[in-house]
Amino acid sequence: MPDAAGDALVPLRIAVAGKGGSGKSVLSGTMARLIARRGGRVLALDSDLLPGLSMSLGSGPDPAEAPLWGATQKKPDGRGYMWGEGMHAALAAQRFALDAPDGVRLLLRGKQRPEGFGAVIGASQTFWEVVHGLVDAPEFRDWTLIGDLPAGQYQVADDWAPYARIYLVVVQPTMQSALTGRRILRVARMRAPEARHLVIANRVRDEDDVRHVEKLVGEPAFASLPVDEDVAAAATIFAETVKRLRDAGGAFV
Amino acid sequence: MKIAVAGKGGVGKTTVSGTVARALARSGHTVLALDGDLNPMLGVSLGVGGEQTELIVAARQAVAAGEEEHAPTIEEIVKRFGADAPDGVRMVIASRVEFMDPGCMCCGVNPVNLVRQLEHGERTVVCDLEAGIGTIERIETGVVDVLLVVANPTGKSLEVARRAIEIADGITEIVVVANRVAGDSDLELMREVLGDRELFVIPEDAVIAAADREGLAPIDLDPDSPGVAALVRLAERVAGAPVAA
Ligand SMILES: Nc1ncnc2c1ncn2[C@@H]1O[C@H](COP(=O)(O)OP(=O)(O)OP(=O)(O)O)[C@@H](O)[C@H]1O
Ligand SMILES: Nc1ncnc2c1ncn2[C@@H]1O[C@H](COP(=O)(O)OP(=O)(O)OP(=O)(O)O)[C@@H](O)[C@H]1O
Ligand SMILES: [Mg+2]
Ligand SMILES: [Mg+2]
Repeated sequence: MPDAAGDALVPLRIAVAGKGGSGKSVLSGTMARLIARRGGRVLALDSDLLPGLSMSLGSGPDPAEAPLWGATQKKPDGRGYMWGEGMHAALAAQRFALDAPDGVRLLLRGKQRPEGFGAVIGASQTFWEVVHGLVDAPEFRDWTLIGDLPAGQYQVADDWAPYARIYLVVVQPTMQSALTGRRILRVARMRAPEARHLVIANRVRDEDDVRHVEKLVGEPAFASLPVDEDVAAAATIFAETVKRLRDAGGAFV
Repeated sequence: MKIAVAGKGGVGKTTVSGTVARALARSGHTVLALDGDLNPMLGVSLGVGGEQTELIVAARQAVAAGEEEHAPTIEEIVKRFGADAPDGVRMVIASRVEFMDPGCMCCGVNPVNLVRQLEHGERTVVCDLEAGIGTIERIETGVVDVLLVVANPTGKSLEVARRAIEIADGITEIVVVANRVAGDSDLELMREVLGDRELFVIPEDAVIAAADREGLAPIDLDPDSPGVAALVRLAERVAGAPVAA
Protein backbone atom coordinates (compact mmCIF):
# COMPACT_ATOMS: atom_id res chain seq x y z
CA MET A 1 0.00 0.00 0.00
CA PRO A 2 1.15 3.52 -0.71
CA ASP A 3 2.41 5.24 2.38
CA ALA A 4 0.45 8.31 1.45
CA ALA A 5 -2.54 7.11 3.48
CA GLY A 6 -0.64 8.37 6.49
CA ASP A 7 -1.37 7.77 10.13
CA ALA A 8 -4.53 5.72 10.31
CA LEU A 9 -5.13 6.37 13.98
CA VAL A 10 -7.00 9.64 13.56
CA PRO A 11 -10.61 8.66 13.00
CA LEU A 12 -12.43 10.55 10.28
CA ARG A 13 -16.14 11.24 9.93
CA ILE A 14 -16.92 11.50 6.23
CA ALA A 15 -20.06 11.69 4.10
CA VAL A 16 -19.69 11.31 0.33
CA ALA A 17 -22.34 12.91 -1.87
CA GLY A 18 -22.84 13.88 -5.50
CA LYS A 19 -24.97 13.39 -8.59
CA GLY A 20 -25.94 9.91 -9.71
CA GLY A 21 -22.95 8.15 -11.24
CA SER A 22 -20.45 10.80 -10.17
CA GLY A 23 -18.23 8.25 -8.41
CA LYS A 24 -19.50 8.37 -4.81
CA SER A 25 -19.28 4.62 -4.24
CA VAL A 26 -15.86 4.23 -5.83
CA LEU A 27 -14.51 7.03 -3.63
CA SER A 28 -16.19 5.80 -0.42
CA GLY A 29 -15.27 2.17 -0.96
CA THR A 30 -11.67 2.85 -1.86
CA MET A 31 -11.09 5.24 1.02
CA ALA A 32 -12.62 2.77 3.46
CA ARG A 33 -10.29 0.00 2.25
CA LEU A 34 -7.21 2.21 2.34
CA ILE A 35 -7.83 3.43 5.86
CA ALA A 36 -8.52 -0.11 7.04
CA ARG A 37 -5.27 -1.35 5.47
CA ARG A 38 -3.41 1.23 7.48
CA GLY A 39 -4.91 -0.24 10.63
CA GLY A 40 -7.83 2.11 11.12
CA ARG A 41 -11.16 0.72 12.22
CA VAL A 42 -13.68 1.59 9.55
CA LEU A 43 -17.45 1.42 9.46
CA ALA A 44 -18.78 2.03 5.96
CA LEU A 45 -22.37 3.30 5.99
CA ASP A 46 -24.34 2.51 2.85
CA SER A 47 -27.45 4.67 2.94
CA ASP A 48 -28.37 4.11 -0.71
CA LEU A 49 -31.38 1.94 -1.58
CA LEU A 50 -29.62 1.14 -4.85
CA PRO A 51 -26.59 -1.13 -5.08
CA GLY A 52 -23.09 0.32 -5.33
CA LEU A 53 -20.93 0.44 -2.23
CA SER A 54 -20.57 -3.31 -1.71
CA MET A 55 -19.28 -3.60 -5.26
CA SER A 56 -16.62 -0.95 -4.83
CA LEU A 57 -15.69 -2.36 -1.41
CA GLY A 58 -15.41 -5.77 -3.02
CA SER A 59 -17.61 -7.36 -0.37
CA GLY A 60 -19.82 -9.31 -2.77
CA PRO A 61 -23.51 -8.93 -3.51
CA ASP A 62 -25.81 -7.28 -0.99
CA PRO A 63 -28.06 -9.59 1.02
CA ALA A 64 -31.62 -9.53 -0.25
CA GLU A 65 -32.98 -8.90 3.22
CA ALA A 66 -31.62 -5.85 5.08
CA PRO A 67 -29.65 -7.10 8.12
CA LEU A 68 -30.97 -4.22 10.28
CA TRP A 69 -34.40 -5.84 10.30
CA GLY A 70 -32.73 -7.92 13.02
CA ALA A 71 -32.52 -4.81 15.23
CA THR A 72 -36.07 -3.74 14.47
CA GLN A 73 -39.51 -4.66 15.69
CA LYS A 74 -43.03 -3.47 14.98
CA LYS A 75 -44.53 -1.11 17.52
CA PRO A 76 -47.12 -2.76 19.77
CA ASP A 77 -49.96 -0.90 18.04
CA GLY A 78 -48.66 -2.21 14.71
CA ARG A 79 -48.05 1.29 13.37
CA GLY A 80 -44.43 1.83 12.54
CA TYR A 81 -41.22 0.39 13.95
CA MET A 82 -38.97 0.66 16.97
CA TRP A 83 -35.78 -0.82 18.37
CA GLY A 84 -35.76 -4.57 18.90
CA GLU A 85 -35.48 -5.86 22.46
CA GLY A 86 -32.39 -4.40 24.21
CA MET A 87 -31.14 -2.81 20.97
CA HIS A 88 -29.39 0.51 20.59
CA ALA A 89 -27.33 2.21 17.91
CA ALA A 90 -23.85 0.93 18.77
CA LEU A 91 -25.05 -2.59 19.42
CA ALA A 92 -27.00 -2.68 16.18
CA ALA A 93 -23.94 -1.46 14.25
CA GLN A 94 -21.70 -4.03 15.96
CA ARG A 95 -24.06 -6.89 15.43
CA PHE A 96 -25.51 -6.21 12.00
CA ALA A 97 -22.61 -4.72 10.05
CA LEU A 98 -21.20 -7.15 7.48
CA ASP A 99 -17.55 -8.04 7.01
CA ALA A 100 -15.88 -6.49 3.98
CA PRO A 101 -12.27 -6.95 2.81
CA ASP A 102 -9.38 -5.50 4.83
CA GLY A 103 -11.49 -5.65 7.97
CA VAL A 104 -13.89 -2.91 6.89
CA ARG A 105 -17.34 -3.31 8.41
CA LEU A 106 -20.31 -2.44 6.22
CA LEU A 107 -23.68 -1.35 7.57
CA LEU A 108 -26.52 -1.36 5.05
CA ARG A 109 -29.69 0.66 5.15
CA GLY A 110 -31.20 -2.02 2.94
CA LYS A 111 -31.72 -2.37 -0.78
CA GLN A 112 -34.74 -1.67 -2.92
CA ARG A 113 -36.86 -4.78 -3.36
CA PRO A 114 -39.26 -5.66 -6.16
CA GLU A 115 -42.11 -5.53 -3.61
CA GLY A 116 -41.44 -1.82 -3.08
CA PHE A 117 -40.21 0.43 -0.28
CA GLY A 118 -42.41 -1.31 2.31
CA ALA A 119 -39.98 -4.23 2.28
CA VAL A 120 -37.14 -2.09 3.69
CA ILE A 121 -38.92 0.66 5.58
CA GLY A 122 -38.34 -0.73 9.10
CA ALA A 123 -34.66 -1.44 8.48
CA SER A 124 -34.33 1.94 6.83
CA GLN A 125 -35.75 3.73 9.88
CA THR A 126 -33.42 1.75 12.13
CA PHE A 127 -30.47 2.76 9.96
CA TRP A 128 -31.46 6.40 10.49
CA GLU A 129 -31.55 5.82 14.25
CA VAL A 130 -28.17 4.07 14.13
CA VAL A 131 -26.35 6.85 12.29
CA HIS A 132 -27.76 9.35 14.77
CA GLY A 133 -26.84 7.19 17.74
CA LEU A 134 -23.29 6.66 16.48
CA VAL A 135 -22.43 10.36 16.62
CA ASP A 136 -21.62 10.16 20.33
CA ALA A 137 -21.39 6.40 20.87
CA PRO A 138 -18.27 5.67 22.98
CA GLU A 139 -17.98 2.25 21.29
CA PHE A 140 -17.24 3.97 17.97
CA ARG A 141 -15.17 6.88 19.20
CA ASP A 142 -12.04 5.47 17.53
CA TRP A 143 -13.76 4.44 14.34
CA THR A 144 -13.65 6.11 10.99
CA LEU A 145 -17.17 6.45 9.60
CA ILE A 146 -17.61 6.77 5.84
CA GLY A 147 -21.10 7.28 4.49
CA ASP A 148 -21.96 6.68 0.84
CA LEU A 149 -25.09 8.78 0.29
CA PRO A 150 -27.59 8.29 -2.55
CA ALA A 151 -27.58 10.54 -5.59
CA GLY A 152 -28.64 14.15 -5.09
CA GLN A 153 -29.08 16.44 -2.12
CA TYR A 154 -32.10 15.08 -0.30
CA GLN A 155 -30.33 12.90 2.30
CA VAL A 156 -28.08 15.76 3.28
CA ALA A 157 -31.18 17.93 3.71
CA ASP A 158 -32.98 15.22 5.68
CA ASP A 159 -30.05 14.70 8.07
CA TRP A 160 -28.97 11.19 7.12
CA ALA A 161 -25.30 11.89 7.86
CA PRO A 162 -25.28 13.63 11.26
CA TYR A 163 -21.83 12.15 11.98
CA ALA A 164 -20.19 13.97 9.06
CA ARG A 165 -17.37 16.35 9.94
CA ILE A 166 -16.22 16.26 6.34
CA TYR A 167 -18.49 16.31 3.31
CA LEU A 168 -16.82 15.13 0.13
CA VAL A 169 -18.86 16.34 -2.81
CA VAL A 170 -17.95 14.44 -5.96
CA VAL A 171 -18.28 16.40 -9.20
CA GLN A 172 -17.57 15.46 -12.79
CA PRO A 173 -16.81 18.10 -15.40
CA THR A 174 -20.44 18.55 -16.52
CA MET A 175 -23.03 21.20 -15.74
CA GLN A 176 -25.55 18.80 -14.21
CA SER A 177 -22.93 17.27 -11.97
CA ALA A 178 -21.72 20.70 -10.89
CA LEU A 179 -25.22 22.04 -10.18
CA THR A 180 -25.90 18.98 -8.04
CA GLY A 181 -22.62 19.62 -6.24
CA ARG A 182 -23.64 23.22 -5.58
CA ARG A 183 -27.01 22.17 -4.21
CA ILE A 184 -25.37 19.63 -1.91
CA LEU A 185 -22.77 22.14 -0.71
CA ARG A 186 -25.48 24.71 0.02
CA VAL A 187 -27.62 22.26 1.99
CA ALA A 188 -24.65 20.72 3.81
CA ARG A 189 -23.41 24.16 4.88
CA MET A 190 -26.85 24.96 6.28
CA ARG A 191 -27.12 21.58 7.95
CA ALA A 192 -23.57 21.42 9.34
CA PRO A 193 -21.85 24.80 9.13
CA GLU A 194 -18.91 23.69 11.27
CA ALA A 195 -18.04 20.70 9.06
CA ARG A 196 -15.64 20.87 6.13
CA HIS A 197 -17.25 20.86 2.70
CA LEU A 198 -14.86 19.79 -0.01
CA VAL A 199 -15.19 19.37 -3.75
CA ILE A 200 -13.60 16.29 -5.30
CA ALA A 201 -13.30 16.58 -9.08
CA ASN A 202 -13.74 13.12 -10.57
CA ARG A 203 -13.08 11.64 -14.02
CA VAL A 204 -10.95 14.54 -15.10
CA ARG A 205 -8.76 14.02 -18.16
CA ASP A 206 -6.50 17.01 -17.63
CA GLU A 207 -5.94 20.24 -15.75
CA ASP A 208 -8.53 21.90 -18.01
CA ASP A 209 -11.20 19.56 -16.69
CA VAL A 210 -10.28 20.43 -13.11
CA ARG A 211 -10.55 24.15 -13.93
CA HIS A 212 -13.88 23.45 -15.63
CA VAL A 213 -15.23 21.76 -12.48
CA GLU A 214 -13.99 24.66 -10.36
CA LYS A 215 -15.58 27.20 -12.68
CA LEU A 216 -18.95 25.43 -12.75
CA VAL A 217 -19.06 24.79 -9.00
CA GLY A 218 -17.61 28.16 -8.12
CA GLU A 219 -15.03 26.92 -5.66
CA PRO A 220 -11.67 25.16 -5.72
CA ALA A 221 -11.36 21.39 -5.91
CA PHE A 222 -9.77 19.88 -2.82
CA ALA A 223 -8.53 16.92 -4.84
CA SER A 224 -9.04 15.48 -8.28
CA LEU A 225 -9.24 11.94 -9.56
CA PRO A 226 -8.35 11.13 -13.16
CA VAL A 227 -10.42 9.13 -15.59
CA ASP A 228 -8.77 5.88 -14.80
CA GLU A 229 -9.29 2.28 -15.80
CA ASP A 230 -6.35 1.38 -13.62
CA VAL A 231 -7.56 0.75 -10.08
CA ALA A 232 -4.05 0.82 -8.62
CA ALA A 233 -3.29 4.24 -10.04
CA ALA A 234 -6.63 5.52 -8.80
CA ALA A 235 -5.91 4.07 -5.37
CA THR A 236 -2.69 6.08 -5.14
CA ILE A 237 -4.62 9.26 -5.74
CA PHE A 238 -7.30 8.23 -3.26
CA ALA A 239 -4.53 7.55 -0.74
CA GLU A 240 -3.15 11.02 -1.31
CA THR A 241 -6.62 12.43 -0.66
CA VAL A 242 -6.91 10.47 2.58
CA LYS A 243 -3.54 11.80 3.71
CA ARG A 244 -4.51 15.38 3.00
CA LEU A 245 -7.77 14.89 4.87
CA ARG A 246 -5.78 13.66 7.84
CA ASP A 247 -3.31 16.53 7.63
CA ALA A 248 -6.26 18.89 7.70
CA GLY A 249 -8.33 16.62 9.86
CA GLY A 250 -7.25 16.73 13.49
CA ALA A 251 -9.59 19.57 14.27
CA PHE A 252 -12.53 18.03 12.50
CA VAL A 253 -12.94 14.67 14.17
CA MET B 1 -50.97 15.23 -25.30
CA LYS B 2 -49.08 14.14 -22.18
CA ILE B 3 -45.68 12.48 -22.46
CA ALA B 4 -43.67 11.09 -19.54
CA VAL B 5 -40.05 10.00 -19.66
CA ALA B 6 -38.73 7.23 -17.41
CA GLY B 7 -35.68 5.01 -16.96
CA LYS B 8 -32.75 4.14 -14.74
CA GLY B 9 -30.58 6.94 -13.35
CA GLY B 10 -28.24 8.48 -15.91
CA VAL B 11 -29.69 6.85 -19.04
CA GLY B 12 -30.61 10.14 -20.71
CA LYS B 13 -34.12 10.98 -19.44
CA THR B 14 -33.35 14.68 -19.07
CA THR B 15 -31.62 14.84 -22.45
CA VAL B 16 -34.60 13.17 -24.12
CA SER B 17 -37.21 15.27 -22.26
CA GLY B 18 -35.54 18.60 -22.92
CA THR B 19 -34.75 17.95 -26.57
CA VAL B 20 -38.14 16.43 -27.41
CA ALA B 21 -39.85 19.38 -25.68
CA ARG B 22 -37.83 21.88 -27.72
CA ALA B 23 -38.43 20.01 -30.98
CA LEU B 24 -42.18 19.87 -30.36
CA ALA B 25 -42.24 23.60 -29.56
CA ARG B 26 -40.38 24.36 -32.80
CA SER B 27 -43.07 22.59 -34.76
CA GLY B 28 -45.82 24.67 -33.21
CA HIS B 29 -46.86 22.75 -30.10
CA THR B 30 -47.59 24.70 -26.94
CA VAL B 31 -45.23 22.86 -24.63
CA LEU B 32 -45.18 22.59 -20.86
CA ALA B 33 -41.99 20.88 -19.65
CA LEU B 34 -42.51 19.49 -16.15
CA ASP B 35 -39.43 18.54 -14.13
CA GLY B 36 -40.45 15.66 -11.88
CA ASP B 37 -36.99 14.94 -10.51
CA LEU B 38 -36.14 15.73 -6.88
CA ASN B 39 -32.84 17.04 -8.24
CA PRO B 40 -34.25 19.15 -11.09
CA MET B 41 -32.03 19.50 -14.14
CA LEU B 42 -34.46 19.86 -17.01
CA GLY B 43 -33.59 23.55 -17.39
CA VAL B 44 -30.11 22.56 -18.53
CA SER B 45 -31.20 20.35 -21.43
CA LEU B 46 -33.98 22.81 -22.34
CA GLY B 47 -31.32 25.47 -22.78
CA VAL B 48 -32.05 28.01 -20.05
CA GLY B 49 -28.48 27.59 -18.75
CA GLY B 50 -27.08 26.48 -15.41
CA GLU B 51 -27.42 29.80 -13.57
CA GLN B 52 -31.00 30.34 -14.71
CA THR B 53 -31.87 26.75 -13.76
CA GLU B 54 -30.63 27.47 -10.24
CA LEU B 55 -32.74 30.63 -10.04
CA ILE B 56 -35.84 28.70 -11.08
CA VAL B 57 -35.06 26.02 -8.50
CA ALA B 58 -34.58 28.71 -5.85
CA ALA B 59 -37.93 30.28 -6.73
CA ARG B 60 -39.66 26.93 -6.36
CA GLN B 61 -37.83 26.57 -3.07
CA ALA B 62 -39.27 29.84 -1.78
CA VAL B 63 -42.36 27.96 -0.63
CA ALA B 64 -40.15 27.10 2.34
CA ALA B 65 -40.11 30.70 3.45
CA GLY B 66 -43.68 30.23 4.63
CA GLU B 67 -45.25 32.96 2.55
CA GLU B 68 -46.86 30.49 0.19
CA GLU B 69 -49.96 28.51 0.89
CA HIS B 70 -49.65 24.76 0.83
CA ALA B 71 -51.32 22.29 -1.53
CA PRO B 72 -51.52 24.52 -4.60
CA THR B 73 -53.07 23.12 -7.74
CA ILE B 74 -50.89 22.37 -10.73
CA GLU B 75 -52.23 25.41 -12.56
CA GLU B 76 -51.16 27.58 -9.62
CA ILE B 77 -47.73 26.01 -9.58
CA VAL B 78 -47.40 26.59 -13.32
CA LYS B 79 -48.50 30.21 -12.97
CA ARG B 80 -46.37 31.06 -9.93
CA PHE B 81 -43.26 29.04 -10.52
CA GLY B 82 -43.24 28.57 -14.28
CA ALA B 83 -40.32 29.94 -16.28
CA ASP B 84 -39.71 30.52 -19.96
CA ALA B 85 -37.33 28.38 -21.93
CA PRO B 86 -36.31 28.87 -25.59
CA ASP B 87 -38.77 28.26 -28.45
CA GLY B 88 -41.64 29.26 -26.15
CA VAL B 89 -41.44 26.21 -23.89
CA ARG B 90 -42.94 26.84 -20.46
CA MET B 91 -41.01 25.05 -17.77
CA VAL B 92 -42.02 24.15 -14.22
CA ILE B 93 -40.45 22.22 -11.36
CA ALA B 94 -42.73 19.80 -9.52
CA SER B 95 -41.03 19.40 -6.15
CA ARG B 96 -39.26 21.55 -3.68
CA VAL B 97 -35.64 20.60 -3.44
CA GLU B 98 -34.43 21.21 0.09
CA PHE B 99 -36.01 20.58 3.46
CA MET B 100 -39.23 19.15 2.15
CA ASP B 101 -42.09 18.45 4.45
CA PRO B 102 -42.88 14.92 3.37
CA GLY B 103 -46.51 15.13 4.46
CA CYS B 104 -47.12 18.22 2.37
CA MET B 105 -48.55 18.23 -1.12
CA CYS B 106 -46.47 21.11 -2.40
CA CYS B 107 -43.21 19.83 -0.97
CA GLY B 108 -42.70 16.19 -1.76
CA VAL B 109 -44.99 16.46 -4.73
CA ASN B 110 -45.58 13.33 -6.73
CA PRO B 111 -45.20 14.55 -10.32
CA VAL B 112 -47.67 11.93 -11.51
CA ASN B 113 -50.35 13.67 -9.45
CA LEU B 114 -49.52 16.90 -11.21
CA VAL B 115 -49.63 15.31 -14.63
CA ARG B 116 -52.96 13.76 -13.72
CA GLN B 117 -54.40 17.17 -12.83
CA LEU B 118 -53.24 18.81 -16.04
CA GLU B 119 -55.97 19.36 -18.58
CA HIS B 120 -55.19 17.95 -21.98
CA GLY B 121 -56.38 21.04 -23.81
CA GLU B 122 -54.13 22.30 -26.55
CA ARG B 123 -51.04 21.86 -24.44
CA THR B 124 -48.37 19.23 -24.91
CA VAL B 125 -46.86 18.16 -21.59
CA VAL B 126 -43.42 16.56 -21.37
CA CYS B 127 -42.55 15.24 -17.90
CA ASP B 128 -39.03 14.20 -16.90
CA LEU B 129 -39.61 11.63 -14.15
CA GLU B 130 -37.42 10.60 -11.26
CA ALA B 131 -35.00 7.73 -11.91
CA GLY B 132 -36.31 4.23 -11.36
CA ILE B 133 -39.79 2.76 -11.44
CA GLY B 134 -41.23 4.29 -8.26
CA THR B 135 -43.21 7.00 -10.01
CA ILE B 136 -44.54 5.01 -12.94
CA GLU B 137 -46.15 2.59 -10.56
CA ARG B 138 -48.61 5.41 -9.89
CA ILE B 139 -49.57 6.02 -13.50
CA GLU B 140 -53.08 4.80 -14.23
CA THR B 141 -54.93 4.69 -17.51
CA GLY B 142 -55.42 8.14 -19.02
CA VAL B 143 -52.77 9.95 -16.97
CA VAL B 144 -50.22 9.98 -19.78
CA ASP B 145 -50.68 9.29 -23.48
CA VAL B 146 -47.13 8.14 -24.16
CA LEU B 147 -44.44 6.81 -21.86
CA LEU B 148 -40.90 7.05 -23.20
CA VAL B 149 -38.86 4.33 -21.52
CA VAL B 150 -35.20 5.22 -21.96
CA ALA B 151 -32.50 2.55 -21.75
CA ASN B 152 -28.81 2.22 -22.54
CA PRO B 153 -27.06 -0.93 -23.71
CA THR B 154 -26.18 -1.89 -20.13
CA GLY B 155 -27.61 -4.77 -18.13
CA LYS B 156 -28.93 -2.69 -15.26
CA SER B 157 -30.67 -0.04 -17.32
CA LEU B 158 -32.28 -2.73 -19.47
CA GLU B 159 -33.54 -4.48 -16.37
CA VAL B 160 -35.15 -1.24 -15.16
CA ALA B 161 -36.63 -0.69 -18.63
CA ARG B 162 -38.04 -4.21 -18.70
CA ARG B 163 -39.73 -3.64 -15.34
CA ALA B 164 -41.05 -0.26 -16.45
CA ILE B 165 -42.56 -1.79 -19.59
CA GLU B 166 -44.12 -4.57 -17.53
CA ILE B 167 -45.75 -2.03 -15.21
CA ALA B 168 -46.99 0.37 -17.88
CA ASP B 169 -48.03 -2.19 -20.49
CA GLY B 170 -51.70 -1.81 -21.32
CA ILE B 171 -51.92 1.41 -19.28
CA THR B 172 -50.34 3.73 -21.79
CA GLU B 173 -48.60 3.66 -25.16
CA ILE B 174 -44.93 2.87 -24.63
CA VAL B 175 -42.03 3.88 -26.85
CA VAL B 176 -38.71 2.34 -25.89
CA VAL B 177 -35.83 4.72 -26.51
CA ALA B 178 -32.53 2.90 -27.05
CA ASN B 179 -30.12 5.68 -26.12
CA ARG B 180 -26.33 5.77 -26.51
CA VAL B 181 -26.25 2.99 -29.06
CA ALA B 182 -22.75 2.75 -30.51
CA GLY B 183 -23.12 -0.30 -32.78
CA ASP B 184 -25.02 -3.39 -33.80
CA SER B 185 -23.88 -5.41 -30.82
CA ASP B 186 -25.45 -2.77 -28.53
CA LEU B 187 -28.75 -3.14 -30.35
CA GLU B 188 -28.58 -6.92 -30.21
CA LEU B 189 -28.05 -6.82 -26.46
CA MET B 190 -31.03 -4.53 -26.06
CA ARG B 191 -33.26 -6.73 -28.27
CA GLU B 192 -32.20 -9.77 -26.26
CA VAL B 193 -33.56 -8.27 -23.05
CA LEU B 194 -36.52 -6.32 -24.41
CA GLY B 195 -37.75 -8.79 -27.01
CA ASP B 196 -39.22 -7.77 -30.33
CA ARG B 197 -40.55 -4.41 -29.20
CA GLU B 198 -39.86 -1.46 -31.48
CA LEU B 199 -36.72 0.32 -30.30
CA PHE B 200 -36.31 3.98 -31.18
CA VAL B 201 -32.55 4.32 -31.55
CA ILE B 202 -30.59 7.40 -30.44
CA PRO B 203 -26.91 6.99 -31.26
CA GLU B 204 -24.05 7.81 -28.93
CA ASP B 205 -23.25 11.41 -29.81
CA ALA B 206 -20.30 13.52 -28.71
CA VAL B 207 -22.39 16.67 -29.22
CA ILE B 208 -24.84 15.55 -26.51
CA ALA B 209 -22.00 14.87 -24.08
CA ALA B 210 -20.34 18.19 -24.95
CA ALA B 211 -23.64 20.00 -24.37
CA ASP B 212 -23.85 18.72 -20.79
CA ARG B 213 -20.26 19.68 -20.20
CA GLU B 214 -21.01 23.29 -21.14
CA GLY B 215 -24.56 23.38 -19.80
CA LEU B 216 -26.15 23.97 -23.20
CA ALA B 217 -29.19 22.39 -24.83
CA PRO B 218 -28.04 19.75 -27.32
CA ILE B 219 -30.47 21.21 -29.86
CA ASP B 220 -28.75 24.60 -29.54
CA LEU B 221 -25.26 23.17 -29.83
CA ASP B 222 -25.93 21.28 -33.08
CA PRO B 223 -29.45 20.30 -34.20
CA ASP B 224 -28.01 18.25 -37.07
CA SER B 225 -25.73 15.97 -35.11
CA PRO B 226 -26.88 12.32 -35.34
CA GLY B 227 -28.10 12.03 -31.75
CA VAL B 228 -30.00 15.32 -31.75
CA ALA B 229 -31.50 14.64 -35.19
CA ALA B 230 -32.72 11.27 -33.90
CA LEU B 231 -34.32 12.97 -30.89
CA VAL B 232 -36.11 15.38 -33.23
CA ARG B 233 -37.44 12.36 -35.18
CA LEU B 234 -38.53 10.85 -31.86
CA ALA B 235 -40.57 13.98 -31.22
CA GLU B 236 -42.20 13.52 -34.66
CA ARG B 237 -42.94 9.92 -33.93
CA VAL B 238 -44.55 10.79 -30.61
CA ALA B 239 -46.54 13.71 -32.03
CA GLY B 240 -47.56 11.63 -35.02
CA ALA B 241 -46.58 14.47 -37.33
CA PRO B 242 -43.43 16.02 -38.83
CA VAL B 243 -41.47 18.29 -36.53
CA ALA B 244 -39.21 21.00 -37.91
CA ALA B 245 -35.76 21.07 -36.29
N1 LIG C 1 -12.12 8.21 -11.77
C1 LIG C 1 -12.80 7.29 -12.48
N2 LIG C 1 -12.30 6.81 -13.64
C2 LIG C 1 -12.98 5.90 -14.37
N3 LIG C 1 -14.18 5.40 -14.03
C3 LIG C 1 -14.75 5.86 -12.89
C4 LIG C 1 -14.09 6.82 -12.06
N4 LIG C 1 -14.90 7.08 -11.00
C5 LIG C 1 -16.00 6.30 -11.17
N5 LIG C 1 -15.91 5.58 -12.29
C6 LIG C 1 -16.93 4.65 -12.82
O1 LIG C 1 -18.17 5.35 -12.95
C7 LIG C 1 -19.26 4.52 -12.59
C8 LIG C 1 -20.05 5.19 -11.47
O2 LIG C 1 -19.26 5.20 -10.31
P1 LIG C 1 -19.92 4.97 -8.86
O3 LIG C 1 -20.77 3.76 -8.88
O4 LIG C 1 -18.87 5.09 -7.86
O5 LIG C 1 -20.84 6.26 -8.84
P2 LIG C 1 -21.96 6.65 -7.79
O6 LIG C 1 -21.88 8.13 -7.66
O7 LIG C 1 -21.82 5.85 -6.55
O8 LIG C 1 -23.26 6.22 -8.60
P3 LIG C 1 -24.76 5.99 -8.04
O9 LIG C 1 -25.38 7.35 -8.01
O10 LIG C 1 -25.35 5.11 -9.10
O11 LIG C 1 -24.63 5.37 -6.68
C9 LIG C 1 -18.67 3.18 -12.18
O12 LIG C 1 -18.75 2.31 -13.29
C10 LIG C 1 -17.23 3.52 -11.84
O13 LIG C 1 -16.36 2.43 -12.05
N1 LIG D 1 -26.98 9.83 -26.93
C1 LIG D 1 -26.06 10.30 -26.06
N2 LIG D 1 -24.77 10.42 -26.45
C2 LIG D 1 -23.83 10.89 -25.60
N3 LIG D 1 -24.08 11.27 -24.34
C3 LIG D 1 -25.33 11.18 -23.89
C4 LIG D 1 -26.39 10.70 -24.72
N4 LIG D 1 -27.54 10.74 -23.99
C5 LIG D 1 -27.20 11.22 -22.77
N5 LIG D 1 -25.88 11.48 -22.71
C6 LIG D 1 -25.15 12.02 -21.54
O1 LIG D 1 -25.37 11.14 -20.45
C7 LIG D 1 -25.47 11.87 -19.24
C8 LIG D 1 -26.78 11.54 -18.54
O2 LIG D 1 -27.85 12.02 -19.33
P1 LIG D 1 -29.13 12.67 -18.62
O3 LIG D 1 -28.73 13.66 -17.63
O4 LIG D 1 -30.05 13.07 -19.70
O5 LIG D 1 -29.67 11.36 -17.90
P2 LIG D 1 -30.83 11.21 -16.80
O6 LIG D 1 -31.46 9.90 -17.09
O7 LIG D 1 -31.69 12.40 -16.82
O8 LIG D 1 -29.98 11.14 -15.47
P3 LIG D 1 -30.52 11.29 -13.94
O9 LIG D 1 -31.17 9.98 -13.63
O10 LIG D 1 -29.27 11.52 -13.16
O11 LIG D 1 -31.48 12.43 -13.92
C9 LIG D 1 -25.33 13.34 -19.61
O12 LIG D 1 -24.00 13.75 -19.40
C10 LIG D 1 -25.67 13.36 -21.07
O13 LIG D 1 -25.01 14.41 -21.75
MG1 LIG E 1 -23.22 4.59 -5.57
MG1 LIG F 1 -32.19 13.67 -15.24
